[in-house]
Formats: sequence, structure tokens, C-alpha cells
Amino acid sequence: MTGAPDAIVIGGGHNGLVAAALLARRGMRPLVLEARNHAGGMLGDAEFPISPMPFALRPEICRALAIDVATRPMETIVASPLNSLSGTLRVSGSRLDGGSPQQAEAFRQLVERLARQAEALSGMLLRAPPRLDGAGPRDLLALAGTGWKLRRLGKVDLRDLLRIALSNVHDLVEDELGLGLPGALLAMEATLGGAMGPRSPGTVLTLLYRMASNGGRRMMPVGGPGALTQALAAAVTRAGGEIRLNAPVERILVEGDRAAGVALSNGEIVRASLVLSSAAPRTTLLDLLGPGHLDAEWVRRCRNMACTGMVARLDFDLLAPPRLAGGEVLEADQRLVVAADAGTVETAFNAAKHGKLPDDPVMEACYDAGSRRLRVSVQFIPHSPRGGWTEANRQMLETSVRRQLGFVLAGFEDSVTASRMMAPADIETAYGIPGGHWHHGELRIDQMLMLRPFDGAAGYRMPVEGLYLCGAGSHPGGDISGAPGFNAANAALAARRH
Amino acid sequence: MVKPTQGAPRRRIAPQVIPQVITGLEPGPFHARIAALNHQHAWTNWMGFASPAVLDSVEFEYFAIRNQTTLFDISPMCKYAIEGPDAERVVNRLVTRDIGRLSPGRVTYAIWCDEDGQVIDDGTIFRLADDCFRLCCQEPQLAWLSDIAWGFDVTIRDVSREIAALSLQGPTSAALLRSLGVKAIEALKPFGIASIRIGECEVDVSRTGFTGDLGYELWMRPPDAARVWDRLMAAGDNWGLRAIGYQAVEMARIEAGFLLPKIDFLSARSALRTNRPSTPFELGLDAMVDLAKPHFNGRRALLRLAGERPARKLFAVEIERDKPAANALVYHRRKREVGMITSALWSPTCKRNIAYAWLDAPFGQTGTDDLWVEIYLQREIRWERRMARCRIVDKPFFVHQRRRQTPPANM
Repeated sequence: MTGAPDAIVIGGGHNGLVAAALLARRGMRPLVLEARNHAGGMLGDAEFPISPMPFALRPEICRALAIDVATRPMETIVASPLNSLSGTLRVSGSRLDGGSPQQAEAFRQLVERLARQAEALSGMLLRAPPRLDGAGPRDLLALAGTGWKLRRLGKVDLRDLLRIALSNVHDLVEDELGLGLPGALLAMEATLGGAMGPRSPGTVLTLLYRMASNGGRRMMPVGGPGALTQALAAAVTRAGGEIRLNAPVERILVEGDRAAGVALSNGEIVRASLVLSSAAPRTTLLDLLGPGHLDAEWVRRCRNMACTGMVARLDFDLLAPPRLAGGEVLEADQRLVVAADAGTVETAFNAAKHGKLPDDPVMEACYDAGSRRLRVSVQFIPHSPRGGWTEANRQMLETSVRRQLGFVLAGFEDSVTASRMMAPADIETAYGIPGGHWHHGELRIDQMLMLRPFDGAAGYRMPVEGLYLCGAGSHPGGDISGAPGFNAANAALAARRH
Repeated sequence: MVKPTQGAPRRRIAPQVIPQVITGLEPGPFHARIAALNHQHAWTNWMGFASPAVLDSVEFEYFAIRNQTTLFDISPMCKYAIEGPDAERVVNRLVTRDIGRLSPGRVTYAIWCDEDGQVIDDGTIFRLADDCFRLCCQEPQLAWLSDIAWGFDVTIRDVSREIAALSLQGPTSAALLRSLGVKAIEALKPFGIASIRIGECEVDVSRTGFTGDLGYELWMRPPDAARVWDRLMAAGDNWGLRAIGYQAVEMARIEAGFLLPKIDFLSARSALRTNRPSTPFELGLDAMVDLAKPHFNGRRALLRLAGERPARKLFAVEIERDKPAANALVYHRRKREVGMITSALWSPTCKRNIAYAWLDAPFGQTGTDDLWVEIYLQREIRWERRMARCRIVDKPFFVHQRRRQTPPANM
């Protein structure tokens, strides 16, 4: 990069990189400031990626950034820790193997219907959320477009969508699939990364959110999460942007109610009139900017954002690739979901809700053959368990996870040589995310669309001129879609044109 | 006699008797003294305290404010201590005017707004030291202050019950304090604060009040309240000192041009309908808003509102003839309804029929002619309707040069 930057992007996670790459491709000179020693944020740490199984970027974003990340779909293996031999299903998209033909048919019908409904809603993802006040003709046109797509679902699908949209995923799968593993999978899909149980109202909406990307199919970039990070970082530098690692931002500078740059924690000042922050909304607004630049009501709404995460990450070093109880090896393009049914997912949530570690944790896992590590995301681990994250609590968590995995993987216990753990509180500390929440804020109906990250703060543009939120805390939210970064950069570019 | 039925043994459940919570009014620190003088037995509810509406005659009490000196218990006011290294930043974040210009030992009138630039309340701010402020206002603000102060190094305490206060107002008020040997008042300018002694009691005196005339407010510890009262009353005979009730204060308040929340405007925190709160510009308090200072609550909204014409505005009006026009509607050309009156009074001192009126734009702002007030009069059980011409005038209706004179006049 030559010359001083004219835009600063705080945080080099995938959303920060997407935002920087788009700004650079539109002729700006963005500087990405990343606190850690690697780009890619929660999926960028090659040693210990926090979210090891990303969904692929939206294809529209890949086109706009001219990047080509080869991905392949992952097959999901759902295994019940209660009944390991008969309790295993293989799921690929809407196709379900290993169960009865009736089960497979019901699953196919439900997943295909949800995918159609999610697709109709997905138009909202790559646009700024509709405004509650003073919607312009463009907003109304965009809303009308989504309305038209919804109408084209047809009477049956639309009526069904309206019926289930605000209901809970537990009831949905119980009605449509009955008890058992297929329901366990959808209950996990709907709740993974958040702090709501399958019986919490609105979890069908989070399921639809997941289904809106790739029809709900999990994708893995060829070469792992690192390949995605590298492609995005390369897109930034290729277009004239710069990425600086080990450069934690301490404060956003404001002059005359306009963003003027940032101060790094080593005291260095970097000036730019445009600052995009992919840090969590609370971190950006209350720590980096400071409440003194914001109205008290705004600060209160920001403080009260629901953003307590419930995912713990554990890595197990293994002597040999893990084998399922039936004897097959868990391949690199397979992920393992461990849960018996939607009810056991809810039971795990109930414990976490009251600050207890679940007796029978539910989780998803994948195996990285290169490092010989099984990477496990354990869902419904409380952020602040009773007594805090003592050695005893950590031990209890690891023991219960190993026990559950021992039920579904043959000889697992004997194969483990080492393990590491990041509880939600550790993720909070390491990545500066309040609550350690994957999505920087719970994805639920009162924190979605024009209410994301919170009422009044939607639309990426912050009250201080030239400051934008571009992280997962903003619409449309978490998972590796890149959409918040993409939308925020577009909003910033549109404001500069005026 | 009814015998207990056979079968399961009956358990006696002793009901836990909780004495009923008393929901009446609380006696304030001066209550015993005021009650002895309250020949009308007329009390009103002021923040849960029994406050006298009128002690014997509102006319006597009003004229005592204007011609002698008066004592009114203002202890029920809400009072908050804001202290700590960030106290100035917090107060500046709260109010719309620049508090950096307020020196220690001085008081100022201020308003504060919500994020939409709508007024929450008004009050007086005492700067007791560099990092120590006291806020006095009509409505409870602790929750709002906690929101404002979040993230700042400051302590906020509700000191409403820790401070008893008296308003000593009237042309002879300085003479009365002088006769008690209070030297500090000679140099005390309007909106100044001084520490004095009345008898054995330590009292803070501020040259503030709501009458538009010479007057003081006295701040003391509640255990000293009765003694201070007695000292003032004992010395007061020569100066025509009279304890007064709320009704007389209200008359002087309107004359002096002060607005009252819940009467003249509604706090943005208590309004339910979105068009009920008002901006400082609608209230005519533009001078209270310093848009040049760094961010304060509601600044961005006020910046936008400053460039727009207010949809309605509060004006001081004078109405022909003598009948007060409280709650009357205002018409243009006797036909079109364009506003309403809030506070109204036949001002005995100004000899004018005065009021505050809300007028929808553009009335009052550009078109000021041909405005009429519809007054309903009851004359010996029969209602009559009168259309009276009204015109817009400047505030305040009454202010005396005595108010500013330092040292104060010895009337």
C-alpha cells in the first residue's frame, strides 16, 4: 500500500476482511488492524480455530471480491450416545441414510420445504435491514421484492412459514419427524452457537437463517478454514489494502463528532475519516468509542444486548483417526453430531441456563487429519458456571465430553494423547467478544433485521459520523457468511458518494 | 357450634399479619411548625410529603411574597449529589448548557433531554466544588442519572431526605437575614452560594428562587430544621415574615416566567403519546442549549431540530379583561382552533391577565394577529362563554431590579 490509509477496519476476522477487500476494490486504501497474530478472527487460528466448520461465503460476495474459494459439502453423521450401534444416521442435504424409509421421506420433505422458505427470505441477507423510520423508496422496493418472493412460495408453503416462523424447533421436529436422531440434528442446527434451547420460541427462525446459506448444507473450503482466511486476506492486499497483525486498537478517535482514526495500544495514532469495526458492538461502542459519545438510552440498549455465548471448544490430539462405533473412519469432509434427540439438546440447555454444566453435553465435531486433532464444539456450556471456571469445572466438562464421544467413537478414550479447552469465558478474553458469543449477539427475533444489533443501531452507520459496525453483531448476523462486512462496506461507500 | 369433620387432622395455619402499608402523606422536616400555622388544613401531595396549599389566605400570602418576606418549605424537591473525578463530565453529558462555565460556589438553571431532544426535566445545578455537584429538580431522576453516568467515575446519591430546605423570598428577605447577623449576603450575587450560621445551625444559602424578586433558599440538615425555622420566625416580625403555601408560590412562579413540568410541559419520560413531549426550542429555551459543546444527551437530535421550525411553541400571552384563562382553547379569527392555555393568572402586581399558551405553527411564530381565547366563566351558578383577545408578549411578566442588586437592598 502506498500513502496513508483512508479507511481503518478494526479486526481482521472474515467480516473485517470482506469489508476491507470491498473498500479496496472500490478504490479506497483500507488498513486492517488485527489484535492477534493471525488474520481470520475466530476461524483464523490454525492451532485452535474457534469455529472450525464455516459455512461458505455467499457466492455474491465471492463474485464482488473476485475470489474463488473451492468448497465441498460436508456429510453429517448424527450419532446417539445412548444407543451407539443402531443410532447412527448419515445426512447430506435433504438426503438421510441409515434410518427407515419413512424417516428419510419425512426428513426430505421437511428440509426441502424449509430450504424453499429460507431461500425466499434470503434476499434480506445481502441488503441493509429495512428501516423502521423514514423508509425510502429503495427500502420499500427491496421489501416488496422479498414480499414477492414469499408470495411465490405458494399458499401452502407461505401459510406454513407464517405458522412456524416464530415457533420453536422442538415442536416442529416432533410434529414432522417424531422422536429421534433426525430431530436431534435439526435441533442442533437451529441452536448451535447461540444461547437458546430447541424449545425456545424463535428457534425455527434461526434454523431458517442457517438454511438460507447453501440450502442448509455445511460447506468446507478445500484446504480448511485457513484457505478461506488466506483467500480473503489476499483479496485485501491484491486490491491495495493493508493488513497489520499484532496491532490492537485501544480507542476510536473522535473530532467534532466525526471519526478521525484510532489509537493503538502501543500509543500509535492512525488517522482516517472512515472507521469500520468488526469487533462486537459492545466492544466497539462502549470500550473503543466510549459512552461519552453516545446518548444514555443508546448505551443502555447496547449494554442490555443479549450476547452470552454457550459454546465451549475442545481439541483432542488422537493417536489414530477416530472410528465410528460401526468401524468406519470419520473423514475430513464429515462432521459428527452427537445428540440423541431434540429433548436431550433441550436438557443440556436447561442445565446451562441455570449455570450448570450439562451431564450429557451435545456437540458437533470434525477431524483434522493434518494435525490429528478432533475439533469439538460443545453446545450449551454456561458462560459463567456456578463457582466460575475452576479446575474442577473444567475437568468435569472434559470428562463428560470424553464420555459422550466414547459412546459414539470406538476406542476414543485410549486414543487421546492431549487435549485443550476454551470455555465461553476464554473465547471472550482471547477474542474480545463480550459473552464469548459466536455471533457477537444472540440471533433471535428481537435482535434481528432492523433490531440488530439493537434498536436504533441497525444499518451499520453509527451516530458518530464515519463510524460503521461491520461484524457479526450487525445484520444479518453470525456464521461465516461475510454478509455483515459486505453490507457495511456498501453502506459506507454509499454515504461517501452523497 | 361447628365440629371439625373427622378424617385428616386439620392443620391450624396461623395467618401472618402484616400491618398495612401507610399510603398517606409523610410529614416533612418542618411539618409540626407548618401544621400549627395551617388554619385552612389544606395539604397537597408533593413527592409524598404533606405540603401546605394555603395556610390562611392566598391573597395575604401572595402579597407577602411581593411586599414582605415569606417562608415556604421546599424540602420535598428531589436532590441528588453527583461527586467524583468525572462529575463535571457527567453533568455536562446530562444538561444542554455548558456546565464547564459554572464556577464552584455558583448555581445555574438547566434542562436535560432524551435522545430525541425532548425535555425530560428542568432544575437547578449547584456546583459545590470542582468535582461536587447537587441537582435539584421536581421529579425523581435517579434511574436516569444512573443511565447517564454509566461508564464514568462518579458517585450519584439521592440526598432528598438528607437535606431540608426553605425558600425565603421577598423584598425584605435580605433585611431579615441581616438582622440575624448573616454577613455573607452582602457579597452574595444572584445564583451564588454561601455557608452561613443561623443560630447554632450550619446552613447553606443560595440566592435563588422562583419569584423574580429578591430571595434566598436555605439548605440545612433535617435535625436543624425546626430550630432554623424558629429563629427566622422569631426575627421575622419586623419584616412581615409569613409562612405560605403552594398556591401563592404558584402565582409568583407564573409572573416570574418559570415553567412547571406536568403543567406547562410533560416530561419525555412520563409521556405516553409520541407528540406530547416538547423540545427546548418549543419551550422557548433556546438559550439553554449550547450546541457548540461536545456530545451531550440528545445533542444530535437537537442539532437537527435547531434547523427545523417547531411544530408548536409555548408563548407568554396577555389576555384582555380580567378573567384567568386556565385550560382555555386558543382560536385564530375566533374560528380555527390553534392552541391551548396551560398556566394562567390575573397578576395582581402587573395588573395584567397573563398566561402561557401552546400554539401550533405558524401561529405565534409568524402569524401573531387575531388570536382569541375562549374563557368559560361561572357567574352565580350560570356558565358563560367569553371570547377574549390575546396577544403574545415577552417573558417574564414580572422581574424586579432588586433581584440582581448586590449588596441587596435593605427594605
